[in-house]
Amino acid sequence: MAKEMAMLHDVARCSACRACMVACKQWHNLPADFSTPFEGQYQSHADLTSKTYNLIKMNERTDKDGKFHWDFIKIQCMHCQDPACMKGCPEGAISRLDSGAVVIDEEKCVGCGYCTTNCPFNVPRVDPDRNKSTKCDLCFDRIENGMIPSCAKTCTAQAIDFGTIEEMTALANKRIEEVKKDFPNANLYGIGPATEGVGGTHMMYVLPEKPSVYGLPENPKTPASIDLWKDVVRPIGKIAGVGAAAGIAGLFVLSKMMGKKNH
Amino acid sequence: MDLSRRSFLKATGLGSLGLALSNLGFDIPKAKAEIMKEFKLTGAKEFTTTCHFCACGCGQIGYVKEGKLIQLEGAADCPVNRGGLCSKGLGYSHIPNSAERVKTPLYRAPGSDHWEEISWEEAIDKAARAIKKARDENWIDTETINGEQVKVQRTDAIGLIGGSQVNNEECYQLVKMTRALGMMSIDNQTRVCHANTPPAMSAAFGRGAMTNPWYDLKNTKLAWIEGSNLAECHPMGLKNLMNAKKNGLKIMHVDVRYTRTSKIADYFIQIRPGTDIAFLGAIINYVIQNKKYDERYIRLHTNGFCLIRPDFGFDDGIFTGYNEKTRKYNMESWGYQLDANGKPMRSENIDDPNTVMSKLKQHYSRYTFEKVSEITGASVEEIKMAAELYCSVKPAVFMYALGMTQHTIGVENIRCFTVLQLLRGNIGIPGGGIDAMRGQPNVQASTDYGIMFQYFPGYLPFPTEKTNTLAKWTHANGTFRAKFLINLLKAWFGDAATKENDYCFGLLPIRNTSQNDSIYVQFEKAIEGKMKCIYFAGQNPMVSNPNLGMVHRGLCHLDTVIYQDLFVNETAAFWQRPDNPEGSDEFLKPADIKTEVIFLPACSYLEREGTMTNSMRMIQWRMAGPDKVGDSKPDYEICDMLWRRIRELYANSTDPKDQPIKLLTWNYPKEHMVEHIMREVNGYDLSTGHLLNGIGEIKDDGTTNSGMWIYAGIMRDGGVHMAKRRGQEDNGDMGIYPNYGWVWPDNIHLLYNRASCDENGNPFDPDKKIVWWNAATNMWEGYDRPDVGSLNAAPSTPAGQKPFRMNGEGLGRIFAAAYSDVENGETRDHSSTPVDGPIPEFYEPVESPTKNALHDNPNAQFSPCVIYPRMPDLQKIGTKEDFPYVLCSSSLAEHWCGGTITRNVPWLNELVKEPFIEIPKKLADKLGIKSGDKVKVRSVRAEIEEKAMVTDRIKPLMINGEEVFVTWQPYNWGFTGLSKGASGNYITIDALDPNAQSQEFKACLIDIRKA
Repeated sequence: MAKEMAMLHDVARCSACRACMVACKQWHNLPADFSTPFEGQYQSHADLTSKTYNLIKMNERTDKDGKFHWDFIKIQCMHCQDPACMKGCPEGAISRLDSGAVVIDEEKCVGCGYCTTNCPFNVPRVDPDRNKSTKCDLCFDRIENGMIPSCAKTCTAQAIDFGTIEEMTALANKRIEEVKKDFPNANLYGIGPATEGVGGTHMMYVLPEKPSVYGLPENPKTPASIDLWKDVVRPIGKIAGVGAAAGIAGLFVLSKMMGKKNH
Repeated sequence: MDLSRRSFLKATGLGSLGLALSNLGFDIPKAKAEIMKEFKLTGAKEFTTTCHFCACGCGQIGYVKEGKLIQLEGAADCPVNRGGLCSKGLGYSHIPNSAERVKTPLYRAPGSDHWEEISWEEAIDKAARAIKKARDENWIDTETINGEQVKVQRTDAIGLIGGSQVNNEECYQLVKMTRALGMMSIDNQTRVCHANTPPAMSAAFGRGAMTNPWYDLKNTKLAWIEGSNLAECHPMGLKNLMNAKKNGLKIMHVDVRYTRTSKIADYFIQIRPGTDIAFLGAIINYVIQNKKYDERYIRLHTNGFCLIRPDFGFDDGIFTGYNEKTRKYNMESWGYQLDANGKPMRSENIDDPNTVMSKLKQHYSRYTFEKVSEITGASVEEIKMAAELYCSVKPAVFMYALGMTQHTIGVENIRCFTVLQLLRGNIGIPGGGIDAMRGQPNVQASTDYGIMFQYFPGYLPFPTEKTNTLAKWTHANGTFRAKFLINLLKAWFGDAATKENDYCFGLLPIRNTSQNDSIYVQFEKAIEGKMKCIYFAGQNPMVSNPNLGMVHRGLCHLDTVIYQDLFVNETAAFWQRPDNPEGSDEFLKPADIKTEVIFLPACSYLEREGTMTNSMRMIQWRMAGPDKVGDSKPDYEICDMLWRRIRELYANSTDPKDQPIKLLTWNYPKEHMVEHIMREVNGYDLSTGHLLNGIGEIKDDGTTNSGMWIYAGIMRDGGVHMAKRRGQEDNGDMGIYPNYGWVWPDNIHLLYNRASCDENGNPFDPDKKIVWWNAATNMWEGYDRPDVGSLNAAPSTPAGQKPFRMNGEGLGRIFAAAYSDVENGETRDHSSTPVDGPIPEFYEPVESPTKNALHDNPNAQFSPCVIYPRMPDLQKIGTKEDFPYVLCSSSLAEHWCGGTITRNVPWLNELVKEPFIEIPKKLADKLGIKSGDKVKVRSVRAEIEEKAMVTDRIKPLMINGEEVFVTWQPYNWGFTGLSKGASGNYITIDALDPNAQSQEFKACLIDIRKA
């Protein structure tokens, strides 16, 4: 029987060595991306890009007690249980696999960008050169062949773990108990109330502080508008026989408007 | 030997080891068929190798399709990394596919402004002729040394730089050919990084190497990281530590700034660059004053109760025996009180005024928390917390790298660790030790093989004017080591080496002890016109040396540069340098530079086979994977071609000076060349041809040979290469893995493990036992190979009570006394003593923002043994009036050393795009500098421009009552490669440690202003 998998990033253990970023690029044959200039910061890219599916964010922070922290967090697709991107995809190009990996079928993707707009975590990016939406695919092909995702395998700090969702939940809870000795607000992100709005995620975090400290949404939701889209707009579009490219251009505007309401 | 399918599965992680989902006991989730593309690895050929950056020595598995490398990952069965790899290790996968690789030999004619492509035959012929010309025209047959005429038969006009970037077999070829040519100026990357480690560690323990294996870290309770950024620079040190966290490990990080390592540490303390001896001196003082030492261990296993001569002393910053004129010590008074047999006398009373412990107590009583706080900038509370933490747990390990070594007091920095660990009984035990994390992939071996002017392979001292016959050499270095020298000479000169002719000892060049022949001096000699030709094998001093203006000037004075590497880098292309940060008035255009440059394109490690030795002395086999790039060749093949051509050029000579070239054994077959070379390194019985199974089988009567005694046992009869082993057994679960690869010496993983047992051979801690004496079998036994001279040496005999058997005394040396062990009137073995003191004393860096707070003596502001400047016109000392800020330089996670490789990997360049300088926020505010602003950074040597990174990770420090600002820069850039930028090393200082001539990278003075 197929099992549901999860990845865990322990923010307290991460050293921001960024091996996971190179591992991701190597496995996915992605080119280097110099879109963010160096202006005196360690973080390599301002955000995810269509060439960078996995990013370590690095932020210097001094807390209210004057204590210094250097926060590192691994940003990539959250692999939601109830993925807004999948629900809103007009081409049915996005699917959630049994493992929990949410993947884009490039054969079907037309690069409309709805997934970008709908994602509560702001993850997918449309590659302007190929007109395809891109994001972390949890190395689903490696999983299928018995290998763990390349980022988790290479991690030098044992900060990225991968296994069944039960194993990762147990590991996360154990780690949180340890982290709580120094950080009483430590919490698990990905399972439980915080991410209920997306049905939970297969990307989980041990966070020493509340999610917003690391730029994670406190209450991400798969937008209600998606149901409108899925149940009303999309069938109309299909019935009307609107060609993909032309129809989508118009629908994009609608989706943008809906997206805005959500912010 | 091909690896079996089963081995490959293990390395991939799909076999019986972790990292495979199929191991988890459930079905692998299946993707929807229509989404699944063709799997990337389907149909690929697998190979295993070892990573090529730091000396962690991570196992790798590569995948090749149609001769091209398509994927490179960590090998899951390698106990060092268990599938992990850092950004650099992964990024190397770009290199076999890089368009920038040099595909054919190149030549740059004197004064020319371009490269031209030439054939291999032409390139090798040009290189061989250049070497011959420099040698023949600059031969020194005799020399007057200290008023005496000495036959020295050498040349100082040819240099070799490199070795840590090539495999073991290639190191051996390089050292063999250069010494046969009579060369003395041979040096490798260790000079720039860890040359200070062996003198420090061997002064205490008898060997110069990291004491415990990486995977022994799981046994430790406290990891004290000082002078290392291991999360960035030794990432598998980090991985092994993170694994130990589940056992309650605590991590202390002491450094000059908060780094990615500080982030994962439990405690972080910032100290001023160059003040480690003061900081650790306070801890030594605390241990002694509060009797936190392990008295039983000290009594049994160290010289703590030995009596030092009453005339030993220390006054006003200077030990007894100092000669102000030569800036050298006479070490005589640093010796023991000896008994009638010449052995050290002991007291039963630790408080006897002449015991080592009493001397120590007196010496460090000056290192109070308050005084040390003023020197280091750490608060009294922080120092006290650190001292209490260190004494609260056992075992504890010290982990360090270049933050400790790259100082003019580098050896004594490291000596502090050795003193503390001996006091606390932390050496030779699981979870203890001192992890000297070596920097280059094969720097352990290039040091083992003696690509250093003062050594022969296996740490045998090179003959000098004082040891210029076999008898004199033996008298100075002991009969123990003479045996190994004889075996080396048998390996090198074959049948020509006989007992009657002292095994051709008389053919060897003789080193002049008044000369320093290090990498720095090679360029200085070039400027003086004495050095004519330098052969570089994978080292980029035009980025990685300090005071780069000197390096450039030196290169421009040479007749010939022979450069062997993958890419044209700054050293190969020095004549194309676009800038002039030191403000030179010469050599401004290619036409001014008359040096010819011969570029020999080498294969990357992925494209050739051989072995490498990592930081824990483990030797691992590398298979060849992807096809060679263009017409590039393996280094072993290039060395072979070069030597054969040199030999041809001398074929008709009858000149006695050319005899070593003609007699040198060198007939390695083309097929399996590296294995034939390793056979010679290992050694064999000359009559039967049987390979030696270990050091114990080496004979002193000329019936065996062994190119390097410490590797004896790596190859066995029947084609067994121990470095190829991938066994996963770990009896006792102590983190030894005795059947994975092979560790020198004699597969001993945890050095000095005899010290984990008491006088009867019983482990101090039965729950963490590693070796023990078995009275029933009358043998030393263990999960690791016991570190004893003979497995039958019972604890009831003197030979069974030598936990530090490579020291003359057989004991750990808290006080590095001057001592030679004499047996039957002949020196048996000699202990080593640092030239700048038997115990560490704090001195300021040569460029310092403050006065030495411990003494007023002007000879003791910085180390009284440092001689700087060596060339006053080109080496100046900046003062705090002109250069008020302290600069520390090092590498970072994404770029590495001279950057020849990493700056050609786009995936690394996108992570760190250009050089920068970290500036404390308060200083930046004062200077009106914001993050991202371009700034001019100036020292007395040069000025460069880079961007500012304004940060809270470096705090201003209060030093002796004044506020001091510390800054930091990565130094890895230059004008070639895909990522170009200012070389930070134009501004750093080339003052050297007096022991091992490592440079003071870690502290110099600068000024900063907005560009």
